[in-house]
Amino acid sequence: MPNMITASHLTLAYQNEKGYNEVIKNASFAIRKGEFIFITGPSGSGKSTLLKSLYGEMKPIHGTLHINGADMTNISSGRLQKLRTELGIIFQNYRLINEWTIAKNIVLPLIIAGYNQEIQNAQANRLLRHIKLSELADRYPLELSGGEQQRVGLARAISKNPVIILADEPTGNLDKNSSNVIWDLLESACLQFGSTIIVVTHKIPELFSLPYRHFIIEGKGIYETH
Amino acid sequence: MKHTKNHLMFILSLISILLGVEFFMVFDRTTDSYEDGLKKGYSILVVSEVPRSTEQFHTLNSHITQSEAIDREAIVTQYINDISKEAKTKLIGNLPYFYSLHLDSYIDASVIQKIKTDLLKDIEIRKVETFGEHYLAKYRLFMLVKFMLRIFILFLSVVSFFLIIKQMEIWKYAHKDRMQIMELFGATMTHRSGVLFRIALIDAVLSMIIVSTVFAYTKYVWAMQSNIDIVTQHYEKLFRVSDIAVLLLSAFVLVITSVYWVVYSTKGVQE
Ligand SMILES: Nc1ncnc2c1ncn2[C@@H]1O[C@H](COP(=O)(O)OP(=O)(O)OP(=O)(O)O)[C@@H](O)[C@H]1O
Ligand SMILES: [Mg+2]
Repeated sequence: MPNMITASHLTLAYQNEKGYNEVIKNASFAIRKGEFIFITGPSGSGKSTLLKSLYGEMKPIHGTLHINGADMTNISSGRLQKLRTELGIIFQNYRLINEWTIAKNIVLPLIIAGYNQEIQNAQANRLLRHIKLSELADRYPLELSGGEQQRVGLARAISKNPVIILADEPTGNLDKNSSNVIWDLLESACLQFGSTIIVVTHKIPELFSLPYRHFIIEGKGIYETH
Repeated sequence: MKHTKNHLMFILSLISILLGVEFFMVFDRTTDSYEDGLKKGYSILVVSEVPRSTEQFHTLNSHITQSEAIDREAIVTQYINDISKEAKTKLIGNLPYFYSLHLDSYIDASVIQKIKTDLLKDIEIRKVETFGEHYLAKYRLFMLVKFMLRIFILFLSVVSFFLIIKQMEIWKYAHKDRMQIMELFGATMTHRSGVLFRIALIDAVLSMIIVSTVFAYTKYVWAMQSNIDIVTQHYEKLFRVSDIAVLLLSAFVLVITSVYWVVYSTKGVQE
């Protein structure tokens, strides 16, 4: 399988008045198409920051980063916009659109891609059933619990069968049962559509049926455990 | 409710700018003709020993485009009543020739002074009366009023523009999250700002219609019924169909600028 994501001597940093505050330094890794990756690491180690660089919200200050053929150090805004339509992102803080209903939030990627209303409705209904929130379709995000919003965020991320799924703590607020729903959905996205999946989590599920690789972020480095 | 209030704020600010624009146009048109009237009504009085033609005056100073001989008999008849026919003829024969001179459009005190000296170079010309003071006072007052009205309109427009920017800040705040999330999922700028553009363009058209209606009403209903001379005389200048285009264009330029401002300032995500 060809590489979907390649990082070489990747350095990520936040700029402040005094200069750069490096979070990731000199990290190299490669992720192939269709792989399932878990990333763990202490709080503040740079897990969310790494994901930011993968969806183009942060540019590397050193090294190179290629995603699905796009050079992230030097990407045009048009190319980035196109790349993002191929991603499914689950944010640590959900980031749903508060003025939109749950059903509409879920199909945001379909709206952006210009799918018709019929396809949107069908997909929204299907995913709402999967995340067990069918009754809440017409509610607004702020009328949902944190865990419910998190599941909506997941449904949104997978609604257009993205090439890459980037999930930041997708089960952070969920009990065991709801967590299992999330893991099942991610597994099937990987199996059925061959999505490449990167999940940041503090706890790798015990019963995980797919083969996966596990990266740890520690002391600014990214290491693979075996 | 909050939404309607926001709309109203935006429309009102737009309306006040458009009113300013329309006032400016109407005022410019009406004062232009008043200014013209001032210029046309102005004349220099010349007393000459011998008859003079317009061409001769024109060679003395090229600003002079028209001359009118003042009927000497009329002058005599006007001021002296009990006089025999012979005495009258004799008197007229002894009178010099009077002319009223009209200028091309350009008027300035120094130019008028220059015209006077040029005329006096002709030894046959005995006296030149420019009515300088009276004329200048009137013209200056007119220019002052015109200037003050322009400043007022400008001030009104600036204040309204700040109100629009203020309103845009509110919109920016209201739409920031949505636009940033859409950006993260790859929506184009046009798509992200579509809603804003739609709202803003609708508001622009609404404001244009309101302002046009007000002025059209003033022209076709109020001005027709009023018996005010200056209004009925300038009735035609109050509102023109071409003004609608100017208003619409101004409104579009305003809202498109402000929406782009909102869209660009929400670009990129800060968490
Ligand atoms: N916007 C920002 N500006 C400056 N520094 C930041 C910013 N976001 C994060 N940081 C810093 O970068 C480091 C890594 O943050 P990051 O959010 O990637 O951690 P994390 O591994 O996701 O932590 P957690 O498990 O708590 O979510 C932290 O030290 C944090 O303070
Ligand atoms: Mg994090």
